[in-house]
Amino acid sequence: MELKELFSESNIELNLDVDGKDEILLALINLLKLGDKAKEMLFKMLKKRENLGSTGIGKGFAIPHCRSLVVDKLNVAFARHPNGVDFNSIDGKPAHFFFLIVAPPVEISNFYLPVLGKVAQFCKTPEIVSKLVSLKTVDDFLELLDKASA
Amino acid sequence: MQESQLRLLMFLQDLLSLKKEIQDFQVVEKYEEMGFAFDRKEIIEDSIKEVTEKLDKELYKRFLQLSQKYDRPLAPVKNGVCYGCFVSTPKGSKLVTQYKDVIEFCNHCGRILYRAG
Repeated sequence: MELKELFSESNIELNLDVDGKDEILLALINLLKLGDKAKEMLFKMLKKRENLGSTGIGKGFAIPHCRSLVVDKLNVAFARHPNGVDFNSIDGKPAHFFFLIVAPPVEISNFYLPVLGKVAQFCKTPEIVSKLVSLKTVDDFLELLDKASA
Repeated sequence: MQESQLRLLMFLQDLLSLKKEIQDFQVVEKYEEMGFAFDRKEIIEDSIKEVTEKLDKELYKRFLQLSQKYDRPLAPVKNGVCYGCFVSTPKGSKLVTQYKDVIEFCNHCGRILYRAG
């Protein structure tokens, strides 16, 4: 599965304007089409996952992820925070780009780890940071995903 | 009370799945290759304890009994079917008809039922 196929206008936010790690997680969760109880539980689960080790992989990227019973299929979201937020990243620098990846405990297609791997690889693409900074529209982001995976 | 008990059970199963995942050396290696760090793995136990202490004792006992039998004691209900054993749930199920968070067991396999979402 190509990354571009997973994203659409509804799960992308290019001008996130919240402060704090919790607020970032909540904003990302809000990009998913889930009920209130599911959102609440997902937030708790993502926090527990973050407690085991930050998903801030450095160079401005964070990829919060978990498996949870509250979803019945793979869900993703992307957000860009122009000013950056402290996410306890491994390099100690603020995170600007956030990918959320959530999957049910069992998936027939088993996309979770491969998608997580593709997103991590995308974050390592040369000059990706400057390209993400200069994005103006959701379509620009989708095009970038397409080019990076080509 | 029952609503939060079902959510607690779901949360417990998620935490136990995460624990199993981070105990798998090969999976952790994949995560580390992607750039993720697990420097505080041991605190998963505290999270599990925190949830189990809030659970009704009889319900937790049932959960543990089911855990002996099945890898995942909770199963989703979709279109009135238990996705643990793929047998239809009773028509009067509040979980199915009213979207309520109630503790219901599959009549066939005994798993605790939940709705995703």
